[in-house]
Amino acid sequence: MSFLAALFAVSLAAVPPPASGPTLAVEDTMHTEVPEVLVRAPRVTLDEILDRVARGEARRDSLLHDVVFTATLRVVRGASGDRPAQLLQETVNRVYKRKPDHVRSVELRRWEIKPGKGGNADISFSSSTEEQVVNFAFRPEARRDYRYRIVGRDLLGDHLIYRIAFEPRSLIGAGDPGGMVWVDTRDFVIVRQELDFSRSPVPLILKGVDRVVIERQQVDGHWVLRRLLMRVTLTIPIPRFGRSVDMAIQFDDYLINHGIDEAFFARGAKP
Amino acid sequence: MIRQMLSVLGVGLALLASVPSNARAQDAPADTTLHQFLRGLSDSTDSYFGLTAAPLDTAGLDSALVAGLEHPWRGPRTRTRFSYGPVYQFSRVDGTLWGASAGLSNRGRRLYLDGDLGYATGAHQWLGGGSLGHGHRRGDVYWYMKIGGSRRGASMDRDNEEMRIATIRALVSGTDHQNYLRREGFDVSLSAQGSAWYSALQCRDVVERPLDVTTRWNLTDHELESPTNIAAAHGRARELGFETRMRLPVLPLWGYLTHQTADKAFGSDFDYRRTRVAVGGEVAVGRHVSFLPQLAYGRLGGDPIPQASFYLGGAHSLRSLPSTSLGGTGLALARLDIIGADDLLALAHIPHPAMFPLQAGLFVASGAVWGADPFGGPGSPSASWPDKNAWLSEAGGSLLYRPGIPDDDGYFRLNYAHPIGANAGEARWSFSYSRALDLLRPF
Repeated sequence: MSFLAALFAVSLAAVPPPASGPTLAVEDTMHTEVPEVLVRAPRVTLDEILDRVARGEARRDSLLHDVVFTATLRVVRGASGDRPAQLLQETVNRVYKRKPDHVRSVELRRWEIKPGKGGNADISFSSSTEEQVVNFAFRPEARRDYRYRIVGRDLLGDHLIYRIAFEPRSLIGAGDPGGMVWVDTRDFVIVRQELDFSRSPVPLILKGVDRVVIERQQVDGHWVLRRLLMRVTLTIPIPRFGRSVDMAIQFDDYLINHGIDEAFFARGAKP
Repeated sequence: MIRQMLSVLGVGLALLASVPSNARAQDAPADTTLHQFLRGLSDSTDSYFGLTAAPLDTAGLDSALVAGLEHPWRGPRTRTRFSYGPVYQFSRVDGTLWGASAGLSNRGRRLYLDGDLGYATGAHQWLGGGSLGHGHRRGDVYWYMKIGGSRRGASMDRDNEEMRIATIRALVSGTDHQNYLRREGFDVSLSAQGSAWYSALQCRDVVERPLDVTTRWNLTDHELESPTNIAAAHGRARELGFETRMRLPVLPLWGYLTHQTADKAFGSDFDYRRTRVAVGGEVAVGRHVSFLPQLAYGRLGGDPIPQASFYLGGAHSLRSLPSTSLGGTGLALARLDIIGADDLLALAHIPHPAMFPLQAGLFVASGAVWGADPFGGPGSPSASWPDKNAWLSEAGGSLLYRPGIPDDDGYFRLNYAHPIGANAGEARWSFSYSRALDLLRPF
């Protein structure tokens, strides 16, 4: 408190104004002293943080018994020159998941710019709620495959957020991306991830993966996927897609642990 | 109906409200600075992705859901895809093979059916086959069962079959050195794959026949570098086998073990036990260079038939030797590949299409085969380890191009291999396609 008070208690020493011209103000404050505090507690190591993230992600998953959400798959041709971005496909599904192995989806909308032409993206859902797309690099079995480093720590209100960068150890192939995650240390759950492909995973087709963003949201106290967005640039323009394509999956309207009856997943079942 | 469904789901009326429940969650005042922070990052993402990140238009979705739930649930909606394509192969034993392939696949149901048929103008035979596969995921393990039948030409070297590149070599310049046999019969396999392991059980019942050279022409009118073809032992092979690949603890290495047993007790004409073990891995140094050490060791006990023997030579073993140059009932091979990750042309500031990054590599290898010689030579004692004079060594360099398909870590290689030590052969250029860790079976 005294530190803050001192910070705002700024006084300006006025210099007598010269006869003409601008007035010069000299600041000689912004000085304060705080007592030194010797921190004896051992700093949490990166390994310990990674262990906690693995446990936090496992705990997050263990708390989910059934999940209902609306998933929207969108494919967009990128803007080029004067031509604006163009929606090529949008598919909306209502998805019901119940552990351990039940999943049901209802297609709510399927819109394609050229229906029946083929080459459209399909989306299928597994019963898993692990969200490996978020934590693939932080699962215990993946620890040997990546290098990790702490990029920064941000204090946001009463949350401490670790930014942890990771990159694949392997240099052969380029299918595994690196990236950065934001970890909320309250639950040690990943709340956001950005992926980075240092080289094209498929040089013959893809010039590069420009950006991949994976966001989570908190619903009823549970961190769940909010959306996944990706932009790729192609090596040669493909008639329908052009040189750049965006793909996104958005997750809305969550209902978590509302208790879906097992009979709902039986083949031939009507509500 | 809707209320019944809602009660089944335990959802409540919020589902049918005109404002989605998500909007309720997202529009609620942020309870912490964390949510404001994440929202700020999301806003930045929105502006980057534009239309792609636009909010979902929810008009009509509620009624679509009501209509969708009116219908009985018939399982995940899956689409069966039909595929087809031409088949072309060329070899000195079958000549030109023209044909077609077709397949049906349903990824949702994990059912795969494919087949191909073609006519070999050199062997004057119809060749082809088909298979039916079904997969099933249970937890983290993917199970896959496959039943197939075929009559085809196959490479004598069971560990390294390279049909596409061999076709190009044979057709363009007559430089295909692989030896072939005819296999006709059935095989069944059951495999299981986890995140860091793969195992399979295999059973096959095939008749194996020798093949003669029938075709000696090629596009550049060169004489065949390998004008003969080793004669396979003729007979029925009834074989049981397994293979497994797994990550070794602590070390950055993978291990691979495969074993096949053919026994007269199964009704097989042959009686052998074939075992091969390999270890390999990648050690990346910094962000620019990878070291890939690989070791392989194999033994064949029982009948020393050529089609079960081990072979040395070619891109997958010693690159200073043509494919399947030497053979025996024992194999030992060690190779170290060093692959640079950077694009050579970019480093040299040479403008080039983005789709053609070129990498550089170095390699050093040493290998030996021993025991009964499938080429009819005197062979050597069938011991557990080769005589020191049997070892052949080489060193060389490669230019590599990784297309990214069909294998993530597959490279087209232009190799220059120079014999070293007791290897009295000549330096050799070769062109090949292989995976980075090619002594291990891919997942």
